[in-house]
Amino acid sequence: MSVDIVVFAKQVPDPEGSPSSYHINSAERKVEARGIPPVINPFDESAFEMALRIKDESGAHITLISAGSNLSRPVILKALAAGADSALLVTDQAIEAFSLDSLATAKILAAAVGRLARFDLILCGMQASDTNAGLIGPMVASLLGVPCVTLARKAHVEGGMLEVERVVQDAYEVVLCPLPALVTVTGEAGELRYPSLQAIKGAKEIPQETLGLSDLQLDLFSPPRVELISLSAPQRERRCRIVEGESGREAGEKLAVILREDGVL
Amino acid sequence: MSLADYRADMEGCSRCSSCKWVPYNQIKSWRFAKNCPSICRYKLHAYSGSGKMIMGLSMLSGRSHLNDDIADIIYKCQLCGACDAACKVYRDDIDLTEVLLELRSHCVEQGFLVLEHMATIDALKREDNMLGEPKDRRGDWAWGLPVKDINREKADVIFHAGCRYSYDPDLRDTVRGALLLLLEAGMDVGIAGKEESCCGGRAYELGYRGEAENYADDMLSRVKASGAKMLVTPCADGYAHFRYLYPRMGRELPVEIFHISQVIERLIGGGNLRIRRSLPRLLTYHDPCHLGRMSEPYFGEWKRSKLDRSMSLKRSGRKGVYDTPRNILRALPGAGFVEMERVREYSWCCGAGGGVLEAYPDFALWAAKERIEEAESTGADALVSACPWCERVFKDAAEEMGARIEILDLVDVALICSGVKEAAETA
Repeated sequence: MSVDIVVFAKQVPDPEGSPSSYHINSAERKVEARGIPPVINPFDESAFEMALRIKDESGAHITLISAGSNLSRPVILKALAAGADSALLVTDQAIEAFSLDSLATAKILAAAVGRLARFDLILCGMQASDTNAGLIGPMVASLLGVPCVTLARKAHVEGGMLEVERVVQDAYEVVLCPLPALVTVTGEAGELRYPSLQAIKGAKEIPQETLGLSDLQLDLFSPPRVELISLSAPQRERRCRIVEGESGREAGEKLAVILREDGVL
Repeated sequence: MSLADYRADMEGCSRCSSCKWVPYNQIKSWRFAKNCPSICRYKLHAYSGSGKMIMGLSMLSGRSHLNDDIADIIYKCQLCGACDAACKVYRDDIDLTEVLLELRSHCVEQGFLVLEHMATIDALKREDNMLGEPKDRRGDWAWGLPVKDINREKADVIFHAGCRYSYDPDLRDTVRGALLLLLEAGMDVGIAGKEESCCGGRAYELGYRGEAENYADDMLSRVKASGAKMLVTPCADGYAHFRYLYPRMGRELPVEIFHISQVIERLIGGGNLRIRRSLPRLLTYHDPCHLGRMSEPYFGEWKRSKLDRSMSLKRSGRKGVYDTPRNILRALPGAGFVEMERVREYSWCCGAGGGVLEAYPDFALWAAKERIEEAESTGADALVSACPWCERVFKDAAEEMGARIEILDLVDVALICSGVKEAAETA
C-alpha cells in the first residue's frame, strides 16, 4: 500500500560550522551566524531518510513542508532532489517579525498539513538543532488529533499499521500504532542520502506550492505562550596551574590530590 | 567583521571606475588595458568592484534587498583583487576586496547559495578537499618518495601539497618534483599524506566562513603537533591563506611559511640546487593572484579612519611575491624572458578563483583565454605560472583554443634545468 508521507524540513544555520562563527547578540536576543549557510535541520534530514526508506520498501508519496521568513530556495531544491515528490512552503516575513514560539509554529505546520488532500504519516526530527526545543512534533500531533510516537530510529508500514522502533536507554522498544500518525525521529535513523548536482538542478521541476500566513487563515498575533527573556553566552574562566614535584611520581600524586579536591576524580 | 563594518569603504566609492582598469600609468595598450574579468565580460557597472560597493551600501541601508540577480552578480567574480589594487592607486582608504568577501558571506548567511558551490562544500565536508576526491587517496601523489609522515614522525619542514596538486593527474609530476627538490637539498621534510586536508581558504572565498574556520583549526592543530619550524607549499592559494586569512581568523600558524618558489630561489642561491641544463625557450610569467597581490601578510584590523593608516599597513597588492619567480626564470641558462603587459599587482586573473571555476566554468575559461592571448602576443614559447589552479584552467583553455604556447609550472622549469625531472616522474 502506497502511503502519503509528510516530512517537516526546518531551515537552520549549519550546526557543523565553527563555534566561533556564532555570535550571541544579547541586546536583540538572538544568535547570529556569520558565514554559516542555512541547511535542513539534521534531525529532519534523518526523518526524510526514514521516509525515503519507506518509499523504497513499499512506495510512498513524500511532501516536504517548510516554514520560515526567508526560505533558501537552493536548500529546498537540494532536499527535494533527495527523493521528495512535492513541497509546500509557508513563507512570510511575519514569521520572523513575531518571533513565534513553538506552539505558533506548530499551528502553522498543522494548518499546512490541513491543506493537503490526505496524509497517512508525518515524520519530523525529534528536535531542531538551533533551538533543541523538541516540541513541534507532539504539538502538531495534538493539534491534528493523531497518535504521536517519539524518538524513532526505524519505521515500517504494513496493512495500515505503523511499526516503530523507539530508542530507549541502552535498548529499543517496538511500538505498533494505527495510521495516520506522527513520528519524531532521532539521528540513529541515518543520514539523508546525498543527491547529485544534476539531480539538484533537476529538482526545479518538482511541484512546489508557496503559501503565506494569510492563506492559512491563522491568528498568530496573540501574545506568545513562551517568551525569550534574555540570551547570553556562558562565562567561561580558564586558569592554568602548574603542578610541580621533585619527580614525576610526586607531581602525579599532587595532581591526583588536586583533582580529587576539585571533585574531578 | 560584517558588511556594516565596511560602510565607510562603500560610502567612499566615488564611482570613478578606476577599479575596471590597469592603473593608467601602467597601461601599455588598449588591447590589454582592462583588469577585471567580471566587468570585462558582463559589461554592466554592477559587475565591477564599484558596482558591488554601491549594491552593498544599498542593501546595508535598506534601500534594496538581496535577490537572485544581485547574488548572481556577486558570485560572478574571481575575487582576484585586481579592482582593489587599482583602486588603491587612487584611493587608499577603501578595502574593496574585503567588501566583496563580506558580500559573499552575506549571500551565504541569507541562503542565496550557488548550487555548484553547495555541492563543492558538501564534498569538502565529506572528503576534506575541494575536488570531492576520496580522502584516503590524498597522499597517493607521494607514493614511493622517501618522505616522513608528520602524523608519526617529527620533521623540520611540513610540505603541504594542497587539494589541486594532491589529485590532479596532470600536475602529479610537478608536486612530486617540488617535494624531490626539497629532499635532494637535504631538507628534513614530512607530509601529512591522507591526513592532509584543504586549507579552507576557498570555502572562505565562497562565503562559507564557518567551514573555513573548521579547516584552519584542523591545520593549526596538525602544525602544532608536528613540531615543524617551517611550512612549504606549492599551492599559491594555500600560501596566501596561511599568510593572511589564518592570522585574521585568529589562527596564525606557528611556523615560517614559504611558497615553493621562495625555497627554490634560496636553494639556487645557496648552491643547493644546481642549474645544469639550458632551456632554449622564450618564457613569460603569469602572476597568480594568490602569490601576488593576495599574498600580502595580515597587518591587523585598523580601527580608526583608514585615511590615517600608514602605507605599510595597507594591502596595496605591491607586497606580494613578484621578484622571486622572475629571478629564477631570468637565471636560467639559454632561456629568454619577456613580460606580458599586465604584470605584478595589476596582473590579469587566470579565471579560476573565487568559485568561478566550480560554478561558471565557461567564464573561467574565457578569462584564461584572454590571458593566453596576452602571453602569445609576447612571442613567448611557454607561459610559466606558480599555482595549480592557474595551470589547470590555462591547460584547459589552451587545449580548447588550440594555443601554440606551452603551459609550465615554475617547479617544472626548475626540475628540467636541474636534472631532477627524471627522478620526479611517476612510474
